[in-house]
Amino acid sequence: MSRLICPFCGPRELREFEFHKTLPNAGDTPFERVYLRVDSLTHSVEHWQHIQGCRAWLHVERNPSTGAVLVMRLATAPGVA
Amino acid sequence: MPRYSALALLRARFQGARYWKPLWTGRTLKAAYDVVVVGAGGHGLATAFHLARDHGLKVAVLERRLVGYGNVGRNTTILRSNYLLPENHYFYEDSLRRWETLSRDLNYNVMYSPRGVVDLCLSDGDMITASRRGNAMRLAGIDSELMELDALERFAPELAPRRSRRFPIVGALVQRRGGTARHDAVAWGYARGATALGVDIIEDCEVQGLCTEAGVATGVETSKGLVRANRVVFATAGHTGMVGAMLGVPLPIETHLLQAMVTEPIKPLINSVLIYVHPGHGETYVLQSDRGGVVMGGYLDGFPSYTREGQWHRLEEVVQGAADLLPEIGGLRILRQWAGTNDMTMDGSPIMDRVKYDNVFLNAGWCYGGFKTIPASGAACATLVATGLAPDIARGFRLSRFATGHLLDERGGGPFPVRL
Repeated sequence: MSRLICPFCGPRELREFEFHKTLPNAGDTPFERVYLRVDSLTHSVEHWQHIQGCRAWLHVERNPSTGAVLVMRLATAPGVA
Repeated sequence: MPRYSALALLRARFQGARYWKPLWTGRTLKAAYDVVVVGAGGHGLATAFHLARDHGLKVAVLERRLVGYGNVGRNTTILRSNYLLPENHYFYEDSLRRWETLSRDLNYNVMYSPRGVVDLCLSDGDMITASRRGNAMRLAGIDSELMELDALERFAPELAPRRSRRFPIVGALVQRRGGTARHDAVAWGYARGATALGVDIIEDCEVQGLCTEAGVATGVETSKGLVRANRVVFATAGHTGMVGAMLGVPLPIETHLLQAMVTEPIKPLINSVLIYVHPGHGETYVLQSDRGGVVMGGYLDGFPSYTREGQWHRLEEVVQGAADLLPEIGGLRILRQWAGTNDMTMDGSPIMDRVKYDNVFLNAGWCYGGFKTIPASGAACATLVATGLAPDIARGFRLSRFATGHLLDERGGGPFPVRL
């Protein structure tokens, strides 16, 4: 995954993007949201930002064992599907 | 277990290959133990060794693959205790002291080489930060020297600190007792030492679940059957997230990749471990292995991954930093490049505590400092497991600190394991 496909900018180098956090949150309290992580070997849902490009927040789904990017789209507000 | 010595080596010379016996294979899994340690890496083996030696317990180490197959064989072998926070530097210093005598304690040459760790400063601001850290260390009785260019030129002439660079060097924080050791030898030495004390090391034995009864762990389910245990220790750095998933407990850990690489061997050039954090670029550390290869590493890849494949942009950054620091190595070819999975905690400091059950322990979250802490971690974790109380030097590493706000945030970076 040395390239990611931004829904706005197309294929761009990985270094333009910044990983933010895995989802879903481990719970609803601030402590759980900030500090705890639910880990998976095969399917990771994450927020990224195209920090050196269009700066859009992105919803990314990846397989962390193979590096395959399964979904990459614009992130939506919490509670919106 | 034959004791290694010059005489034994001479005997081996005459007996030939018959002298060398397997050091830890061939043990069979028994039905019950005092303690089951999950993971035969550096920390798991060291914990088992100290549980057997210091506390006389019956211990098994269960390993999914092979002894020393994970991060203990994948790191850049740097040993140092130059940390700012007291909870960290007392612990890492305890470890460094143990490294100094480890070869004797294990009767196995771990090739500890106190060649000095040089943290380079590129600005007055760097010097101020370094002197603060150095002073904190000196107050704790840990050796640390702030060097300006003259002293640095004498200590590390290969660096030619006055040479014109894109980011000129202005000084360094040097820990002379820091250095390197032979990574595989540490795993092998502890495995041999533990086996000699009656520890069963079972390879190819995957732990699939924890057995519990009335809120107490009673053993583990493995690919080789059920094993009963009074206490269970998870020392599975790099896969601690999976332990959390198995126990149903979200942990303050993300798993990130850290890559390293080594060039073709050359004659001795680099005398110490050079750490170079260059503005706007990232980080490069450079050392020369005993075989002559220039070992280089840098910062984390930047996102959770279990692939063990480093990303190109980080490799490029590490190599650029190394070539900027020592232009003469710029033409060398890289022989190998690899990555290890790192337990990154939300404050960058480790976790040594009970988890979920009163008799289940976690030895995890070593971030990128796991190798250097193996001896201290083994001793401290064994004390915690055997007596129920962590020794003073490891009290800060409790799991509850994230909830109570007693973070050990060495970097002062907030609850992100990756941001620079």
